[in-house]
Amino acid sequence: MHYSSKILVFALCMSLLLSCRGDEIIYPTIGTHVTDLSGTGGLYVLCEGNMGSNKARLDYMNLEKGDYYSNWYGAQNPKQVKELGDVGNDIKQHGGRLYAVINCSHKVEVMDIQARHIGQIEISNCRYLAFKDDKLYVSAYVGSVANPELLGSVYEVDTATLQITREVKVGHQPDELCIVDDLLYVVNSGGYLTNQYDSTISVIDLTTFTEIEKISVGLNPTRVRVDDRKQLWVCCQGNYNEVKPQVVVLDGKKVQHRIEMPCANISVCGENVYILDGENKVLYAASTANYQLSTVNCSLSSYEHPYGLLATEDALYITDAKNYVSSGVLYCYSLAGQQRWSALTGDIPGHLCLVTGAYDVHGDTTRQDTTLTYSPYISRVYEFVPGMGQFVNELPKYAEGDDAEAMCRKCEAAIANNAGGMISLGGWGGYVTFGFDHVVENKEGRDLQILGNAFYMTGSTEYGSSEPGIVLVSRDENGNGLPDDTWYELRGCLYNDPLTVHIHSVTYTRAGDTLQNNFHKHPYYPQWFSEDEYTLRGALLPPQSVKINNQNVQRILDFGYVDNKPNTDLEGTSFDISWAVDANGQPVTLDKVDFIRVYCAVDEVLDMTGELSTEVSGAIDLHCNKQLVLPTIFN
Amino acid sequence: MLRRTILILIFALCACALFAEPDTLYNDFRIEEVEVTARALTKDIIVPQTLKGAELQRLNALSLADALRYFSGVQLKDYGGVGGIKTINIRSMGSQHTAVYYNGVQLGNAQNGQVDLGRFSLDNMEEIQLYNGQKSDIFQSAREFGAAGNVYLTTRKPYFKTGERVHVRAKMRFGSFALANPNVGVDVKLTDGLALTLDAEYVYSDGKYPFRYRRVLPTGETAYDTTAIRQNGDVNAVRTELGLHHYYRTTGFWRLHAYNYWSERGIPGAIVNNVWRNGERLQDRNTFVQGQWQDEWFNRWSTRMLIKYANDFTHYWNYDERLLPSNNKYLQQEVYLSLANKVQIFNWWDASLAYDYQYNTLARENLLIEAAPEHFARHSHWLSAAMAFNIKEYLRMQASVLMTQITNSQSSTTNSPRVTPGVFLSFRPYPKIDLSLNAFYKQSYRYPTFNDLYYTDLGNANLRPELARQHSVEIAYSIQKSAFSIQTSASYYYNRVTDKIIAYPKGQQFRWTMLNLGTVKINGVDAKADMSFFLPLRFTLRTRLNYTYQKAIDVTNPNDTYYGHQIPYIPWHSGSVVLGLDWQSKRGDHYGLNYSFIYVGERYCQQENTIYNYVQPWYTHDLTLYGEWQIQRWWLKANLEINNLLGQDYEVIQNYPMPKTNVRCTIAVKY
Repeated sequence: MHYSSKILVFALCMSLLLSCRGDEIIYPTIGTHVTDLSGTGGLYVLCEGNMGSNKARLDYMNLEKGDYYSNWYGAQNPKQVKELGDVGNDIKQHGGRLYAVINCSHKVEVMDIQARHIGQIEISNCRYLAFKDDKLYVSAYVGSVANPELLGSVYEVDTATLQITREVKVGHQPDELCIVDDLLYVVNSGGYLTNQYDSTISVIDLTTFTEIEKISVGLNPTRVRVDDRKQLWVCCQGNYNEVKPQVVVLDGKKVQHRIEMPCANISVCGENVYILDGENKVLYAASTANYQLSTVNCSLSSYEHPYGLLATEDALYITDAKNYVSSGVLYCYSLAGQQRWSALTGDIPGHLCLVTGAYDVHGDTTRQDTTLTYSPYISRVYEFVPGMGQFVNELPKYAEGDDAEAMCRKCEAAIANNAGGMISLGGWGGYVTFGFDHVVENKEGRDLQILGNAFYMTGSTEYGSSEPGIVLVSRDENGNGLPDDTWYELRGCLYNDPLTVHIHSVTYTRAGDTLQNNFHKHPYYPQWFSEDEYTLRGALLPPQSVKINNQNVQRILDFGYVDNKPNTDLEGTSFDISWAVDANGQPVTLDKVDFIRVYCAVDEVLDMTGELSTEVSGAIDLHCNKQLVLPTIFN
Repeated sequence: MLRRTILILIFALCACALFAEPDTLYNDFRIEEVEVTARALTKDIIVPQTLKGAELQRLNALSLADALRYFSGVQLKDYGGVGGIKTINIRSMGSQHTAVYYNGVQLGNAQNGQVDLGRFSLDNMEEIQLYNGQKSDIFQSAREFGAAGNVYLTTRKPYFKTGERVHVRAKMRFGSFALANPNVGVDVKLTDGLALTLDAEYVYSDGKYPFRYRRVLPTGETAYDTTAIRQNGDVNAVRTELGLHHYYRTTGFWRLHAYNYWSERGIPGAIVNNVWRNGERLQDRNTFVQGQWQDEWFNRWSTRMLIKYANDFTHYWNYDERLLPSNNKYLQQEVYLSLANKVQIFNWWDASLAYDYQYNTLARENLLIEAAPEHFARHSHWLSAAMAFNIKEYLRMQASVLMTQITNSQSSTTNSPRVTPGVFLSFRPYPKIDLSLNAFYKQSYRYPTFNDLYYTDLGNANLRPELARQHSVEIAYSIQKSAFSIQTSASYYYNRVTDKIIAYPKGQQFRWTMLNLGTVKINGVDAKADMSFFLPLRFTLRTRLNYTYQKAIDVTNPNDTYYGHQIPYIPWHSGSVVLGLDWQSKRGDHYGLNYSFIYVGERYCQQENTIYNYVQPWYTHDLTLYGEWQIQRWWLKANLEINNLLGQDYEVIQNYPMPKTNVRCTIAVKY
């Protein structure tokens, strides 16, 4: 009896815990909403999914409403057996239709512009697409007839009938292809079997559909795009060993230019070719006229694996494939590199296709109005101009040859993305300007926490080490992504103090760099400045230092200054955008801010410890919830 | 009245049964293996989960993998069908933390570290044991201290009645998927102490089974409903084994075992959109010869020697016309030596010392290119020291340390030896009641395999071993009465796996590499109860209940979208119920019915726990009907199995559909 009841309880517990199997429901699309839009039409995102997972996924972003829909294809075509398929490899639009290559499903999926299934073209191991008039051209790793050399093929497909009309044998493992006039160029990557990579482009005459030439470009070419001057830009990956990757420019016959650099992706827009260096996580714009490279100011340092790229006339879209087996992220930037929004995608978001239509999904979308992937930490340092001082050239460390841009990157490495490092703003007026991967909204209560290195004197909360800095905020009014708009001061407790000087300026000169103390025997003047003098402007707070027990300490201010209270004091280190005032001291209402500037607001040099200088070690958007809110439809 | 109601309820709810081999079968004389270790002192601290003898035969299990589903704490990965790969994951630490021992010697796979348990037949198997942590017997080879979870397979030992010299068994099994599986075995008593056993088996299956994908819309409308036939899942396999056993005194014996397995099979592959068949083929041959010698000196000193040579050949090719072809051959060789000694210092204190050495080679050849085969080699040394104490009947303790040094011939980095400890405790508060409180702590490394280190483009020669730390506490109780017997236990464990070896994207193109990246935290509970009720009219009811709860979460990096999520393919809840009713006639014939239910709860197929990665629970009901008859000196057995009785369309691994209802029929004769 005793044992029996024990068993009974055990059995009952077990049956309560276990849930039953229900119908296998086709997963719905999930909509997420992003703000800060600037775009028209829509953007399709083809997520590859891992081989064998059958998780190729087509997502869609309504750029006008800011709605990002996961699994848009599934919502449009719920009755497709085994969904979209295995490994999405390319997507393009042509003639009012969408075409998507699903590599391991051996098909080209043909859809209307809203991604409703029309038909499919069966091509084994198909890779990439190109169009001319009413014809579709598809590269494939294998031909319709097996050949001992293992050469791939390019197929011609009639878009009206979706039937293959012609086939031509090309090189080993042909990947991207593009068409210039009556010639089709396809890169032969090779190397999958032998580690003997191919290095050619096959040129195909579209009239006769024969290979007329093979041009040698560089080892392991995987991408080819045509620019506005009918030049071909080819990404050669090298052999991942001693042969380095390069970008090669051809005029159709001959190599015109070579740039030795890694190239994860490439996108042509107007007179620029954007090249994504996935290894160093930098985006470059190359001019089609003179091949000059310039860095695009969008910070990719927080990316795990930069992967997809699309440049359009008004925006840059870049994807992060993360670890390839979890959700990726799609980011949108202004052409100047200012981040506008981001959205969580499927696995390996690799291929982007812009369309003119902005659609809403029909039926049952689970709508989520939270932005999922913003970081609460600053992602970007725009400017770093320290006042002359003992930590200048040291925090961050200046190295021979660094320019202002390089110093900004060093500041990012120290304080962006919760890196935990620290920078010093130097003497009075020295400043840093930073931003987040999103706009900071002015909501109820404090909005921003800015971290420094202030601390209290033992046994006191009135005195300690306080090196107050004033916070300025700005909205990107002209929309150029740069902090060149009107600044508003966040009013601190000393704003109305009669001793506060509101209009003050200091000019630092290279010649005046003679302050060095015994601990800092190096130049105090910012060594990356080419000019011999510079002037800083702002407000000057009254001196706060006193001597207690023969030690220099400062009065801790009540509120509103950076590096004034310890970081552990959330309230003491956080700021409210509602405190903003204009140059005349009049309160202004700002819904959101794009840029934040902190400058050192005290001018005091102490014996032994040198000048007071504000230190900044990061900032946090207090409204940004870092934790992902995952959809749960089963509860 | 209440008592009876409860009993009926139990019969209705619970399940059951693992039947002991009827004692009348062969009990007169046996070439006895004298367990030198069978003193109370060295009895297992952590009692293993065991399936043996007739219990095994009556379960719905074709291969070892099927049988392991009935253990708690175990998750089986099954790619479906007779030929599909089957591996197990013990307590969520990863399948490569599991070691499988065949008659006391570990089965190795230096190439990928995984043993396909679907290849081991139950026909020649006497006993399967699963130990969490390690076998808590200090008299073992050094290597046995090394793995996090251990499965011991013991093949049938010969038994002879007085005057018997030869036993012959023949078995024929037919079933769904065109299964044909004949098996013959011969035992010969050569002298009083020396016996020879032979066992041979052939398996054929065309692997064709219907599977169905049915999906519905949230509105309830059917989205699609497709049935297709699984292709390229055929298998042809031949297994032959030869054993020689010699017991030359009450304490000493040696045995030799030769094993050969050959198979040729299709790899059915993932079912994805527009792909309903795959073209991968695999041929392999596993051969090994192993010897064991054991004796005892002065009643205090025991010595055991193991020696093994293994030669495994694998040929993989894929000539699917839609894919780029591949054609690879692999040859692995292994030499293994082990020497273990145990000394009884006092009645309450034993100590042991063991040293193992192993040499592995792998030759890899890509037949599509004209290049010389690549060769890899590895030397492994294990040195273990262990002690066991007991304080009266109350407390038993074991502590062991293992030093491992593995040197890969291609690696420039020298691997310094690594030391891992293990501590096992058992406390029995009341000598008269079989109630014990057990606990263990153990560290173990999973060393990178040849594939992890040197796989073309993917390997990373600088990998460190992956570390698993296990903490486990258990309460166990058992009672035996004339009317019933119960063994029950519950354990809680906390495991932490660090430096997990995972594939991670390398550089910018679609390439991967292996990295020590990943930390997994596992909290789990295993509960089990085995019960037998001896009823009137020679009925016996046996039940076996298992339940496992596991929370195994990824805690690698708080910035990952999957931080804190359950790791892939580990269900929170899983369990099984076995219920068996046996009736014995007056002349000793048996008839019975065995029912089993296996449940694997909801889980996710990728790191991120999102709806797109959600996998539904699956559960199957299996039934076995059997009869056993004795006709003079002949025994006849017949067995009918019906698996997945309700025809559930399920997948253990996503896109690998499992068979619907299927049957097997076995007829066996013994002399």
